[in-house]
Amino acid sequence: MSPGNTFAAELRKAATLPASGVAAAVALLGSSLVTVLNSVSARVALDAGRAEPGSLTSPFELGYAAVPLGTVGAVVLGVTVMSSEYTANSADAGGGRQITATLAASPHRLRLLLAKALTVVLAVAATAAVTIPVCVLIARLVVGDAAPETVGPQEMLHRFLGAALYWTLTGLIAFAVTVFTRSGIVPLVLLTVNSSLVSFSLLLTNVTPLAHWLPDMAGRRLFGGLGTVEGGLDTVPGAIVMAVWTAGLLAVAAAVFARRDA
Amino acid sequence: MSPAAAVRAPARPAARLLRATAAELAKLATLPSAVAAVLATAGAGAVVSAALAWSAVDAGESVSAVAALVRAVPYVQAGLVLVGVLAVAHEYEGVQVRTTLAAVPDRALLLAAKTAAALVASALTAAATVGAATASAAAVRLLLEAGPVREAAEPWTAPGAVAYLALVGLFSHAVALALRHLVPALVGVLSLVLIASPLLGGLTEHARWLPDRAGALLYDPADTVLTAGTGALVLLGWTALVGCAAAVRFARADA
Repeated sequence: MSPGNTFAAELRKAATLPASGVAAAVALLGSSLVTVLNSVSARVALDAGRAEPGSLTSPFELGYAAVPLGTVGAVVLGVTVMSSEYTANSADAGGGRQITATLAASPHRLRLLLAKALTVVLAVAATAAVTIPVCVLIARLVVGDAAPETVGPQEMLHRFLGAALYWTLTGLIAFAVTVFTRSGIVPLVLLTVNSSLVSFSLLLTNVTPLAHWLPDMAGRRLFGGLGTVEGGLDTVPGAIVMAVWTAGLLAVAAAVFARRDA
Repeated sequence: MSPAAAVRAPARPAARLLRATAAELAKLATLPSAVAAVLATAGAGAVVSAALAWSAVDAGESVSAVAALVRAVPYVQAGLVLVGVLAVAHEYEGVQVRTTLAAVPDRALLLAAKTAAALVASALTAAATVGAATASAAAVRLLLEAGPVREAAEPWTAPGAVAYLALVGLFSHAVALALRHLVPALVGVLSLVLIASPLLGGLTEHARWLPDRAGALLYDPADTVLTAGTGALVLLGWTALVGCAAAVRFARADA
């Protein structure tokens, strides 16, 4: 198969996977629901005139605050693109794994992995491109004229791109880890825990400052403007560190995938 | 021997339940991913609790081993979720559930046996994890020669943590029985417990009725409305609610 066809095939497989749809829906609906809750409580406070100074009231801030939660959707997308290949079919259908058919159709393993990685990037970026504007729109509809918009268009674009980049890199890290493990359990548990408030990386920063160089801690300032723990790397160096982690994990995944029996 | 003598007398219900539960436990104990999940959870409990104790002593806080355990529980509950989900998901990964139903055709009995086995597995994992976490925090305190603890821990904190973690495993088991698939059950419960619950806790006081927040009162009673006992009942109520839906599906739907 030509590289283009391989990519088209992978895209089609991901698009028809039920888990991809659910992951995208979780990212979209989960973030939207939180935005609704956030904006309604902000609106109530504004209308009653008890909005505390310094609290987030501008529509963009309210919508954007829900975006870090959507990271779970990116993790599920990255994991299932790979783990679905290794899930055994029903025994009625021979109990085989899709990976054998995939490798027979596109024997060039690096090309296949690249196509899959590009699929993850595209799926996560598309989810981000829908989710973040929808959240901001919801916040704007709920808050309305009660609070002025304090974020300029230029800054909005930067913060949107930062969040989309964080999601994409997290999706790729989940994908690379799933290439090693072949089952989705370990990356799902590990990365969901790390996207939450009880993150292992956050805990490690209390023990050693080196933990600020872990991918999720380094990249966390990509969600610009949101409150986060003190210390660690700045936005751009942090993003570079996270991207280097992603590239490194993908390179190791490629080496493993190219040399290992399916 | 007459043919009639070869047919064994039907066992009493209690004996049949015991036998079916033993079979479910044997399946779990020989499932590599379940054993790995149990060991990894206990190991994670020890490491996380040691790290928490370490950073607390470093910061000059006076933290007992049990207090470090309380802080470690939110981290290790992911492991209990995994144990509860795996107990169901492995049946539906292939066609093992059909073999299971051929061996134990009484679906109500099988459901009871599965639930009992999941509760035993969760409770053992929870006890091992809490034990490992407390021991490692105590070891770190000895190692760093931490000063005496000013506030003595309540005696039922550690048993409360075991009970909470075991019930979280049971809740995940009910969710997995209702959903039948590993990924949605795992992601669903983890998102609820780790992401939605802290978030809603910051937004509204009604979040105290969420399963994990209510159950957490078992080891950390800080709520004004619910107590440890009623909190545990709320968590059990959620489990029963999801479990009823799961039971209807299990009894009525095709395997």
